[in-house]
Amino acid sequence: MTVVPAGPAWTDRRDRDLVLGLAPALVVLALLTVTPGVYLVLTSLTPLNLAVPGSEWDFSQPLGNYAGMFEDPRFVHSVGVQAQLSIASVVLQLLIGLGVALLLHPNTPIRQLARSWMLVPMVLPPIVVGITWLALFTVDISPIHRFLAWMGLPMPPLLTNPSTALWAIVFAGTWQHFPFTMLMALAALQMVPESPIEAARIDGANRWQIFRHVRLPFIAPTLAVAGLFVLIDSVKAFPLIFIMTDGGPGEVTEVTNFYVYRQAFTFSLWGYGSAIAVLMMAGVFALSWVIDRITTPNDGRWS
Amino acid sequence: MRKPFFTPPPSEFAAHAAAPERPAAASGATPVAPKRRRLLAAGSAALAAGSLGLHAPAAVGQAKRFSGVALNVSCWSATYPRLLADYVGEFTEKTGATVNYDTPGLPVYNQRADLELSTKGAGFDVLNITFVYTNRWIGNGWLTPLDPFINDRNKTAPEFDFADFLPGAVQPLRSAKGEIYGIPWVTDSGMAIATRYDLLQANGLAMPDTFDELERAAGIVHKKDGVDGFLTDNHWGFWYPPLLQGYGGNVFRAPPDDLMPTLATPEAIHAADQLARIVGKYGPPGAGGMAYGQTGETLKAARANLSVVTHAGGMSYAEKGNKAAATIRFGLMPRGPKGRFPGIASHGWGIPVGSKNKDAAWAFIQWAQSKELLMRMVKDKGLGSVTRSSIFGTPEYRKLIHVNGVDTGQVVLDTIKLGEQGHMKYRTVPAYPQVNVQLNQAIGRIISGQMSAKESMTQAQASVIADLRRAGVKL
Repeated sequence: MTVVPAGPAWTDRRDRDLVLGLAPALVVLALLTVTPGVYLVLTSLTPLNLAVPGSEWDFSQPLGNYAGMFEDPRFVHSVGVQAQLSIASVVLQLLIGLGVALLLHPNTPIRQLARSWMLVPMVLPPIVVGITWLALFTVDISPIHRFLAWMGLPMPPLLTNPSTALWAIVFAGTWQHFPFTMLMALAALQMVPESPIEAARIDGANRWQIFRHVRLPFIAPTLAVAGLFVLIDSVKAFPLIFIMTDGGPGEVTEVTNFYVYRQAFTFSLWGYGSAIAVLMMAGVFALSWVIDRITTPNDGRWS
Repeated sequence: MRKPFFTPPPSEFAAHAAAPERPAAASGATPVAPKRRRLLAAGSAALAAGSLGLHAPAAVGQAKRFSGVALNVSCWSATYPRLLADYVGEFTEKTGATVNYDTPGLPVYNQRADLELSTKGAGFDVLNITFVYTNRWIGNGWLTPLDPFINDRNKTAPEFDFADFLPGAVQPLRSAKGEIYGIPWVTDSGMAIATRYDLLQANGLAMPDTFDELERAAGIVHKKDGVDGFLTDNHWGFWYPPLLQGYGGNVFRAPPDDLMPTLATPEAIHAADQLARIVGKYGPPGAGGMAYGQTGETLKAARANLSVVTHAGGMSYAEKGNKAAATIRFGLMPRGPKGRFPGIASHGWGIPVGSKNKDAAWAFIQWAQSKELLMRMVKDKGLGSVTRSSIFGTPEYRKLIHVNGVDTGQVVLDTIKLGEQGHMKYRTVPAYPQVNVQLNQAIGRIISGQMSAKESMTQAQASVIADLRRAGVKL
């Protein structure tokens, strides 16, 4: 048996072979993701308007769209709405997902069944979720509204009230997506070793103390990753808003993603829409990087 | 069996359309000798092609002129295009062209067609010209002018009779120079309805003739018998301008030449305030945010009374089985002190400039809008929206669209006649989609109490100016 010495020559060869082996996949990845991304960036540097011939390759004012964006009060407003939606979605989905995961953590037949049922909203198409919640929030036909009215607690329409419309969207979105955070938290909870919990119990720690000082530190990195995914998902919010409020009343629920859709698909201002999309993409990358820094230990290894 | 009441025009095409060709064995008819059958087939194809306006020599040379052609046809999902799907096989039978036909929902259709047309692609051969996009699609040269087809006797049969189309329906499908780009299949007219007219009568009210009367009537009948006073869908970009113009305002200063928006004028603010007040005070909870589907269900069930709707929408509420059917009443769109300016929306078939099958596409349009086929659709399927004056004139059609003693066809004709005032020009400017969204949001803000009418319309004015400038419109 030949023993290969582990020296610089061997590691160089290994690295080269790794690159060669990965090359086909990297080429495909580049074609599928990088090329459209580059096209998006190029488009954002033009005033591309489908109704104006020749505007697709007009690079005379490459930063015109970016400059115009910050003078556009509706864009600035949409960023504010986006921030509210994202923060509320992350907080609610993490809290509810974690809460349900803690309830379903112990292994019993009923809890195992409940875990499966809890996944149903997540696998529903967003259109179905949107239509369902639109019906549930429509006063005339909603069983929730009827029940509350029967109880003597009539609830005003949520989707047409500027104070509640965004919350109604957040609520529907949380209902649809919390199973994801629940699954992540549940998986992390299952991985928490029993010995420190047992030791804490022997030391007289109560349930809350065990959760706060033993379980939570173990699952925190997983929750941070789950939060990042929820955050990215919230930036992509579209179907529920499209179906339930169309960005209204007024522009109360017009998040940035929806604003991009309007600019590109309703107004045909692809250059401007692309510029906003590029900014959104940069924002998501920046957030990902920040969270990566927070959740990665100093020695560079994942915990 | 019902007796046919329509005599097809004297053309082979029409005769074939009335009695579709079938293989003899399948139809049970007496088998014909192969040679004779070939002659008959060639002869009938030549005549059919001739009636479709095709070059006779080419048609005689082959059994079916468009054999091997695959036409891609798309329209949004309205009653007529949905019904037409049942007949498309007949076109294939007559011309040899296969048809890939689809009818997606309006927003999906508009996006797909807009993208296809703007890239001058060849993906579609026949597309619906959506009313709100008429000027954008026609003005940018994305559609094929149809005059050369209409005026070519080799391509258009006399039976097609273009002059039969209502001028008010064709007008929106013309370019600024008057060229024709679309053949209208519907001219949907804005009008007033009361789903519980009995409640109006019980309170001594007639159909409202003015917006003030509408507001007053909605207030009087609101919550009577548990029915809300007023409801319409939240497409304010269509329902607000009749009030705006009725009070003497307009969306733009002088469309389509001067597109400076005029949304913060006293007339605009007054109209917006009144519309928001009527919807907010006399509509069901959340009325300001209800889209077409939601309001339609409510009106069909007569849970809301007065409304402004399109004729097609109103007719669908009047269908048998709906609670509103027995008590619905139609009337003209109310007027303001300066006149009556109902929304009128023509949709028509057009040919994308990038189509590679323009002759076959034109043959399809002729067939789809032929008098014979439309009359069959009226008779067999109850088609209620037509654009041919000859069909409007038939007793069968007028009977079909009589609703509770009101000849809604006359209401439509009167409305289309009002279109000759030219008040719909605001709607056909290329950048109207932006204005439409701004109006939807502006009225939404007022109804939901976020802003006063003055604040909201002032904001709309500023936003529309910014949007138009971004779209390259010189103001």
